[in-house]
Amino acid sequence: MLKQHPTARFILQRGGWYLLTFFVAVAINFLLPRLGSANPVDIIMGRSSSGLSAEAAKEKEESYLKEFGLVKLDASGKILHNAAGKPIKRSTLEQFGNYVLMTFHGDLGTSFQKYPKKVTDVILQAVPWTIALQLPTIVLGWIIGNVLGALAAYKRGIFDKIFFPFAILLNSLPFFVFGMLLVYYFSVVLGWFPAMGGYAGELIPSFSLEFLGSAAYHYALPFFSIFLILAGGQAIGMRSMGIYELGTDYVKYAQWLGLKESRILAYIFRNAMLPQLTGLALSIGTMIGGALITEMIFSYPGLGMAMLTAIQNNDYPVIQGVTLIITTCVLIANFSVDILIGFLDPRVKAGLQMGGN
Amino acid sequence: MRVTKLSVSGLPVALTVALSLLAGCKGNSAKDAGGFPRDQTLYLGGSQWGDPSTFNPLAESWQAAWPVGDRFNLMYEPLINYNSQTGQVEPLLGSLVSKSNDSIVIELNPAAKWSDGKPVTSEDVKFVYDLGRKYKDAATAYVTEFISQINVAKVGNTERLSFLVDKKGRNNPLVILDLLQAVRIVPAHIFQPLLDKNNGDLSAVKKLKVDSVPVVSGPYNLKTYSNQKIVLERRDDYWGNAALHAGQKPGPKYIIHPIFKDNNAFAIALQQGDLDASQTYIPRISVKAKDGVGTWYKKAPYFVPGSIPMLIINVTKEPLNDKAFRRAMAAAINYGDIKELAVSGYANDLKPGLIMPAGLEAKYYNEADAKAHAVAMGAASAKKILADAGYKSVFKADGSLDYMTDKTGKKLPSLSIKSPAGWSDWEAMIKIAVKSMREAGIDVREGFVDASLYWPAKPSGDFDILMDKPSASVTPSLPWSRFEAVMSSRNWAACGKSMNENQGRYNNPKAADYNPKVDSLLKAIPLLSDESALKKAYAELNDIFLDDQPAIPLVYLPEQFYEFSTKTWTGWPTEKNPSAPPQLPWVSAGIKTLWNLKAK
Repeated sequence: MLKQHPTARFILQRGGWYLLTFFVAVAINFLLPRLGSANPVDIIMGRSSSGLSAEAAKEKEESYLKEFGLVKLDASGKILHNAAGKPIKRSTLEQFGNYVLMTFHGDLGTSFQKYPKKVTDVILQAVPWTIALQLPTIVLGWIIGNVLGALAAYKRGIFDKIFFPFAILLNSLPFFVFGMLLVYYFSVVLGWFPAMGGYAGELIPSFSLEFLGSAAYHYALPFFSIFLILAGGQAIGMRSMGIYELGTDYVKYAQWLGLKESRILAYIFRNAMLPQLTGLALSIGTMIGGALITEMIFSYPGLGMAMLTAIQNNDYPVIQGVTLIITTCVLIANFSVDILIGFLDPRVKAGLQMGGN
Repeated sequence: MRVTKLSVSGLPVALTVALSLLAGCKGNSAKDAGGFPRDQTLYLGGSQWGDPSTFNPLAESWQAAWPVGDRFNLMYEPLINYNSQTGQVEPLLGSLVSKSNDSIVIELNPAAKWSDGKPVTSEDVKFVYDLGRKYKDAATAYVTEFISQINVAKVGNTERLSFLVDKKGRNNPLVILDLLQAVRIVPAHIFQPLLDKNNGDLSAVKKLKVDSVPVVSGPYNLKTYSNQKIVLERRDDYWGNAALHAGQKPGPKYIIHPIFKDNNAFAIALQQGDLDASQTYIPRISVKAKDGVGTWYKKAPYFVPGSIPMLIINVTKEPLNDKAFRRAMAAAINYGDIKELAVSGYANDLKPGLIMPAGLEAKYYNEADAKAHAVAMGAASAKKILADAGYKSVFKADGSLDYMTDKTGKKLPSLSIKSPAGWSDWEAMIKIAVKSMREAGIDVREGFVDASLYWPAKPSGDFDILMDKPSASVTPSLPWSRFEAVMSSRNWAACGKSMNENQGRYNNPKAADYNPKVDSLLKAIPLLSDESALKKAYAELNDIFLDDQPAIPLVYLPEQFYEFSTKTWTGWPTEKNPSAPPQLPWVSAGIKTLWNLKAK
C-alpha cells in the first residue's frame, strides 16, 4: 500500500532506523560509564572516608550502595551479603531494566554526586543556559556567515581576496583561545564587559527589565567568542559550495539560454544551501550537548559543565540523563534534516519514486 | 563591488565598535543595581564550585552546599571555635571549661538561641552527637569511636556537657577537641519530628534539602540560591551579637558566593573588585596589590603555611620497599624549584620531616635533631645512596635516563606518581619532582589520572606513589593527625582492601621488621599534656619518619589561599592586624572578621 505513498514510506523507513539507533545509543550510554573499574561509591568513599575506622567505612559504604540502588536487598530492605560478607551488587542487566522502567515513567533518577538532587532538576537548570548561550549564536552565525560566503563566491575580486583569508583565520582559531582573548581585552584591560557569569551578582533571575538587561550585557563576550568563529566557518563552506555551483554545467547552460542573472543566482544558492542547511540542523541538534569550554571560561552553568562533572565522578544517573537528552535531540535533528532534504531536494524524491531508498 | 568596505582591519574595528555600543548602553550601571547594594554586600568565593545540591546540616559534608557542612560557621555553629593563629579555643555556642584525659567539659552559652527563638540546649547537642549511635549512616557516626557518653549537669542556669573519652575505643581526647569545633549543632526540635514523621528513617531525612527558611543559630541565614550563586542575609537578632560581640552586628547585610567554574574567574573577579575575598590559587599575587588585592603577609610567602602536600610511597612495591631507595628519592627532589615555580613562592623553606617549622607546630620542631636524621640533599647524595645500595641507572646516549637495575642486575619497573589530572598546582609540583629524580637516575614518571580513578586508588593502595595532602585543615590535633595519617598501622590492611590512613602500607604489624614504637607513640601523644614529654615524643616520631621515609613532603601550603580586596570592604585581618586567623570569614575563628569589616 505504501508503494503509492513514497513520502510516507520514506518517513516510516527512516523513523524505524532512527528508533533502532536510539535504543542502541541508550544502551551504549548506559553501559559505557559502567565499563570502567571505578564505581561512584568508591570515588565518594575515597574522598570522604579519611580517618574512619575500617568498620565505620564499611558501614558508610554499604549505606551509599543501598541508597544509590546498587546492591540487592532482602524483603525487609536489608542488604544481602555473600559468603565473604560482601554486599551482593545488582548486575548491570538488572540496573538496565530498572533504568528503562524508570525512564518510561519520566524518572531519570537521583544524582549520586549532587545527592539528593534529581537528575531532571540538574538538566532543567542547565538547559536554558545552554540554549541561551548557543541558539542565537548558531542561528545568527549561520545566516551572516552564509550571506557573506555567498557574496564572496559571487563577487570574488578584492572582497573575496581579503574576506576569505580572514574567515579562514577566524575559523581556525580555537574558540576557547578567542574567548580568553576577548575576556582579557574587553574585560580585564578595558573593563567594558563582565568576565564571567550569566547575569550580575546582585540580581535574582526574574522577568524584569533589569535582569534581562544584565543577562544581555553578560552575554556579549560569550556570544562573540562563538559567533565570529562560527560565521567564519559557515562563510568558508558557503563560498566553496557557491564557487563549485558556479562552475557546473547547468549554470553554463542557463547562461547560454540567456536567463536573468538573479534567476541563475537563485538556482545556485538553492543548491549550495543544501549541505549548509544540514549543518545548521545538526548544530542545533548537537547544541544541547553544551559548549563545554565556553561554559567554563565564562562560568555559564550549562549542560556541558553538568556533563563534565558527572563524568569525572562517574555519576551514572546524570550521565545517562544528559546523554539521553543529547541522543534524542541529535536524532530528532537528523531525522528532520532527512525529511527536509527529501522535500527540498527533488533528486531524493525522484530517487524514491524510482524505487530507491 | 557593493560590499567591499569590510577590510581586514575593518572587522576588528567593527567588533570593537559593536561591543563598545553594547557596553555603552549598559555601562557600569549593572554593577550597583539590584536588590543587594554593593556597600552592604560581601562577595566571597572559592568554596562552592558546582550547583548547590542540599542545605541539609545532616547531609555528608561533601554533599552539602556552602555554607552548610565542613567547618563553616555562618548558618550552623559548633560548640567551640579553634583559632589556628593563636592555638586558643574560643567560645561559640559553648565554652571550654576543662580538658583532661577522661573528659572534655563544655559549658553551653545560656544566651544561645535558634532563629525561631527557642534556646540552644543540651538536647540539641546530644541529638546530633548521638545520631551516630542509632544510625550508622549518620554523617557524625564516627564520633562514637571517640566519645563514650555525654553527661549533662546543670550549674545555675547554664548546662554543662561532659564528653567522656571512650577509653576502650580510640582513647583520644585530642580528636574530641577536633570534633567539638567540627560538628555543627542542629535544632533537635526541628529534626526529631522530621525523623519521627519518616518512621525514624534517617536517609529519608537526609534527602530533604532544608533550603527554605531553615532554623539556624548562626549570624546569617539562607536567602536564595541558584546555580549561579548562593545568597545569605544577616540575622539582626543573632544571639551572639550581644553575647559574643559587645552588641555589634556584622558589617555586611548580605553575603553572596558566586559560583564560577574555574580558578581564573575568581582571580579576575577579585582583581576587578567584584569579589571581596577568595580562597583560590592566584599566581603572582604581588602584582595584584595595585588593584587592592591583599594577603596576610605583604611580602613573600604572602600566606601562612598550614598543610603539606606529599608523595605517599607504597612500601609494598619493589624497589620502594627499600628504605635506601626512598631516601634517595627524597634527596634528589629539588624542593627550591617546587616552592618557587609550582607555588609561586607562597611557602616557607621546607624542613625535613612531618612537623611544620612555622606557626603553632614550630615548638615541636627540633632543627638539630631533624638534621641528624634527614638524608643529605642533592643529586650527588641521591646517586651515592643508590650506588651504595647497589642500584645502577642506565642513561641513553642523549643523557636521559633509560632504566634502572637493582643489585642483582634485575631491571626495575618504571614507577609512576598518581595524581588527579587537572589539579594544576599538584601537577606542577610532580613535574619538577620527576624531573629532578630522573636527573639523579631514579626511574619515576608522572601518572596524572582522572579524579574518578585517583580517589578509589587511594584507600586501596593501588599506586606506586600517590600525591596527597593529609590533614589539610588546621585543627587542634596537628601535627599528631598528620603523623597518624601517614604512619599509623592501627587499621592495617593489605593492598586491595581499604585503609583510610597510611595508604602507603608502612610498618606492617605482621612483618618481621615491624616497629611497634610508631604505633605506641601515636597512641601516647594524644594523652600527653606535659610539653616537654610531647616535644620528646614528636621528636622521636619525626626521627623514625626521616629514617624510614614512608612519604616525601614536597612543600608547605597555606590551609587556605586567603586573599581579599579592599575595594569595597576594609578591616581584613593581616599580619599587622591579626584580629582573626588567615581564613575566609566563614571558616572557624575566621568568622570574627565579619564584625570588623567596614564598607568604604
